[in-house]
Amino acid sequence: MSGGRGMREERAIWRASGLRRERWHGYYFLAPTLLFLALLIAVPLVQAFWTSLQRTRGLRSSFVGLDNYLHLFGSERFWHSLSVSALFTVACVALHLAVGLLLALALHQVTFARTALRLGFLTPWIIAPSIGAVVWVWLLEPQFGVVNHILTSLGIIQEARVWLGEPLLALGSIIAVDFWRGMPFVMLLLLAGLQGIPAEQYEAAAIDGANAWQKFRHVTLPNLRYLLIVATTLDTIYTIRHFDIIAVMTAGGPASATEVLPVLIYNTAFEANRFGRASAVGIVLLGIVLTLSVLYLRIVKPERDKAEA
Amino acid sequence: MPRPSSRLAAAVPAVSPLAALRYALLLLALAVMLFPLYWMINTSLKPTPEVFLDPPTFFSENWSFEAYGALFEARPIGRYFLNSLVVASGTTVLCLALASFAAYGITRFKMRIEPLVIIALLFIKMLPEALLVVPYFELISDVGMLDSYAALITVYSTFSLPLATWMLIGFFRMIPKELDEAALMDGATRLQTFLGVILPLARSGIAAVAMFTFLTAWNSFIWALVLTTEPEMYLLPVGIATLMGEYQVEWNELMAAAVIAVVPVLVVFGILERHLIAGITAGAVKG
Repeated sequence: MSGGRGMREERAIWRASGLRRERWHGYYFLAPTLLFLALLIAVPLVQAFWTSLQRTRGLRSSFVGLDNYLHLFGSERFWHSLSVSALFTVACVALHLAVGLLLALALHQVTFARTALRLGFLTPWIIAPSIGAVVWVWLLEPQFGVVNHILTSLGIIQEARVWLGEPLLALGSIIAVDFWRGMPFVMLLLLAGLQGIPAEQYEAAAIDGANAWQKFRHVTLPNLRYLLIVATTLDTIYTIRHFDIIAVMTAGGPASATEVLPVLIYNTAFEANRFGRASAVGIVLLGIVLTLSVLYLRIVKPERDKAEA
Repeated sequence: MPRPSSRLAAAVPAVSPLAALRYALLLLALAVMLFPLYWMINTSLKPTPEVFLDPPTFFSENWSFEAYGALFEARPIGRYFLNSLVVASGTTVLCLALASFAAYGITRFKMRIEPLVIIALLFIKMLPEALLVVPYFELISDVGMLDSYAALITVYSTFSLPLATWMLIGFFRMIPKELDEAALMDGATRLQTFLGVILPLARSGIAAVAMFTFLTAWNSFIWALVLTTEPEMYLLPVGIATLMGEYQVEWNELMAAAVIAVVPVLVVFGILERHLIAGITAGAVKG
C-alpha cells in the first residue's frame, strides 16, 4: 500500500479536480449492471420461491404454502436424489483433487514443453461438457464402443458391458466423465499455487537435509493448504450443480440411479410438468450451495486480508 | 567449447531416471485425457460401414470427409452453427458493455456499496443454474420470447456477467488513476475519459475477457435446452444432443458435428491460452 504522503497527494488531487463531488457518478457506471442483475437474478429468484409455494397443473396454479416442501421431504425420490448428488459430488471432487494434485506436482517439475502439456491437459475442460458427454456416449456404446474393446483386450473385463444401462455402472461412468471434465481446472489452480511457492523454502529444506517426501510434507503442503481448501470448496459448488453431462448421458436413469438434484429439477419441471415441486427442489439446492458459498467466503476473506496487510 | 553444446551438455545429466519416468507417466496421462477427442476425430473421418467394425480401427485406411458432407446435407447443422454464433457473439457484446461500465465504476469511484456488489457478483457466480430453469421458462414464455435470440442472449449474459466484471476489475486496476485525472483536467467528461482513454488502454484485457465470455456462451447447454422449442432455433450443443436421441444414430456424422462444435473453441483457446489462464486462476482464487 502507498504511504501517508501518497495518500495525502491523492486526496489533494481528489479535491482539486472536483473528483470528490462527482463521487456518486460511479453509480451511473454501475447502474446498468445492477438494473440488469436485479431484473434477471432477483426477480427470477423471487419467482422461483413463489412458485415453490404453489401447485401448478397446466396453466392453473394455486397457493399451497409449504405443501411442496412437505411432499419433498416425504418423497423417496428426493432423498434418493440427494444421496446420489452427495455421492457423485464427493467422488468427483476427491478424484479431481487427488489426481489434479499429482499431475500439478509432476507438471511443476517438468521444464520441457510444459506450456504445451498444460494446454493438452486443459483441453477436456475447455470444450463444452455436453459435447464431451456425446463423445463419451459413443466411446461407451455397448456393441461398437471402443471402451469395451480396449478393456476386454486388456483383460480388465471379461465381456462387453452396458455402461449406461446398469445403475452402478452408469453412476461410475458419469463420475469418470466428470473426472475427465473437471480435473484439469483443479490441476490448473494447484499448479498456479505451486508456482507461487518461493524457491528459497525448498533450498532451506535441502540444506536441512530434507528428502523429497519431507519437502512435500513441510514445504509444499503448508504453502498449498489455502489453495487446496479453496479448490475443494469451489469444485464442490461447481460439481453439485452440474447438469450437462448427466442430462446428455443418462437423463438421470437408469431407474433414477444418476438423478442428481439439478437433473431432478429438470425432470420434475419438464417431464412431470410439476413446476412447484421442481422449484422446491431448486430452493433446497440453493440452500446447499449458499451454505458452501458462505463457507468459501469465510475461508477466502481472512486469507486475502492477511495477504493484503 | 562453443556455447550451444555446453548448454546441451549441462542439460543431459539433469535427465535422471526419475525425471524420465515422471515425463513418461505425464505423457501417458495426457494420452488418456486426449483419447476421447482423438476418437471423436477418428470416427468422424470413417466411412459409415467402418464405424461398426469389430474390432474398431484406430486409424482409418480410407478416411474421408464423407460424414461431414452427409451431415451438412441431411441436418441443419449450418443453422445450429449460425444460431450459436449469433447468441455467443451477442452475449459477448452485451456482457462486455455492461461489465466494462461496472468495472470502471467500481475501480474509479469510492462507493459504499462496492463490497456488496462484489459479494453479489460472487453469489451469482455460485448460483445453481437449474434453480432458475423454472422461473426463466415461465417468465420468458409469458412474454412470448421463447425461441428468440434476444432471450437467449439476455440469459447467457446474466451468467457471464459476474466473471467478466471480476476479470475486468483486475485489468482496470492495473491502469493508473492518474491517467483518468489527467484527461479530466484537460476538460474531458467522465464518459469521454472512460471511452477514449481507459478502454483503449485495457484493449488486450478486454479481448481476453471477450474471448472467455464467447467460449462460455458457445459451450453453454442448459438455457439452450430450456428456452428453445423450435428445432431451427437449437444451438449446437442441443442440436447435437438431439441427433444422439434418434432411433438409429449415425456415429460418424454425430462425431463430425462434435468436431465442428469443438474446433472454434480449440482455436480461440490456443490463441489466448496464456491470458485466459491468468484470468481464470485470478478469478477463481479471488472470487
